[in-house]
Amino acid sequence: MNGASVLIVEDDKWLAEQHQRVLTKAGFKATIALHAIAAIHAIDEVHPKVIILDVLLTGNTAFALMHELQSYGDTGGIPIILCTNLASELTIENVAPYGVKRIINKATMVPADLVAAVRSVLQ
Amino acid sequence: MGATTGEHERILGGPLTDGLSSFVAAAHELKSPLALVRQLSLTLEDGDVTPVERSRMLRQISLTSERALRLTSDLTRSVRLSDAMFTLEPINPQQLCEDIIRELKPLFAAHDRDVKFVPNKNPLLLVANRDLLRRILINFSDNALYYAESNMSVEIRIGSINKGETIRLGVRDYGPALPINTLKSLKSKLTQASTPIHARPQSSGLGLYIAGQFADAMNGKIGVTQHRDGATFYIDLQASRQLSLL
Repeated sequence: MNGASVLIVEDDKWLAEQHQRVLTKAGFKATIALHAIAAIHAIDEVHPKVIILDVLLTGNTAFALMHELQSYGDTGGIPIILCTNLASELTIENVAPYGVKRIINKATMVPADLVAAVRSVLQ
Repeated sequence: MGATTGEHERILGGPLTDGLSSFVAAAHELKSPLALVRQLSLTLEDGDVTPVERSRMLRQISLTSERALRLTSDLTRSVRLSDAMFTLEPINPQQLCEDIIRELKPLFAAHDRDVKFVPNKNPLLLVANRDLLRRILINFSDNALYYAESNMSVEIRIGSINKGETIRLGVRDYGPALPINTLKSLKSKLTQASTPIHARPQSSGLGLYIAGQFADAMNGKIGVTQHRDGATFYIDLQASRQLSLL
C-alpha cells in the first residue's frame, strides 16, 4: 500500500500542497493537478491508485471529470475520494455511481483523515 | 446609488438572486480560506515540519487570512452602501492600478504567479470613488489569481471605449486553453441567450456580486469577456471631462 500513487485534484494550490505534504509523509507518492484538464494528463502519466478530488474546480467541475473517467475502462475503476466544502450537501449513495468511495469535509477534517481515507479505499 | 437592485443583479444572476441569502453566500465564500488556515495550523501544531516549511506555511496563513478579511471588509462596505455618501471624483486610473499592483505583488508571488499593469499610451481620467474602484479591481484580481496558470501573468489594463466617453478597466487572466471547437460551441450557445457573469466555480460569486454593487454606486457597470484561454473581468466608468479642459 505504501508508495501507492495518489492524484490530488485541487485548484487551491496551497491546500493541494498541504494534502501532498500529509500524504508524502504517510509514504504515498502524491501528485497535484490544479484543474480537470491537468488531471486527465496526470492520470495518463502517474496511473494513480486513488484520486482525491475537490468538487468545485476551475474550468470543468469534478462531476465532468468523474463522468469522463467513468467512460473509459482503464480509469473507471480508480477509486475517488471527494474532499470538499460541499460535503454536507452530498451523500455517498448519490455519488457512488461516479466511483466515489469516500467524502471528506474540508471544513472539519484533520490531516490524518486524508491518510485514513486513502488507506481504507486501497484495502 | 446604494444597495437597491441594480443593473448588475440582472446581469449577474448571482448568488443572491438564486435565492441564496447573502449570509449563506458569505459563509460559503469564507469556508475555503478558513479551511486552508485550519489545515496549515493543525500541521504546524503537530510540529513535524522543517523550518523552511514552517516559514512558508506561516506566510500562507497570513496571506489567506488577509484574503478572507478583504471579503468581510467588502461585505461590510456593501451593506453600508445605502446609508453612506460616496464622493465621486476624477481619478487617474493609471496611478490607482500601479498602487494595486504593488499591493498584490506579494500575494501573487506567494502563489508563483505575477500580476502586471498594461498602461494606456494616452492619459485617461475617470469619475469614480477611489476606495470602491480599488476594491473592485482587487476582487477581479483575486478571482484571476485562482484561475491563472502559474507561468502566466494576470494583467490589469486600461482603455477607452464609446469614443472616449467610457473608461474600461479590465483584469485579464490566462487559464487552460479550451480546444477551438469547444470555444466555438460555447460562443454559439452564448449568442443564443443572455448569460450571467459567473464567478469562477470555486466561488459562490459573492465577490462579483459585491463588485457589481460597488459599480452601481459609481454609475458604472461590470462585465466579462470570455477568451479561449481565460477571461477579462472589467468595469466601465464614465470618463472625466476635466482632462479635456487641460
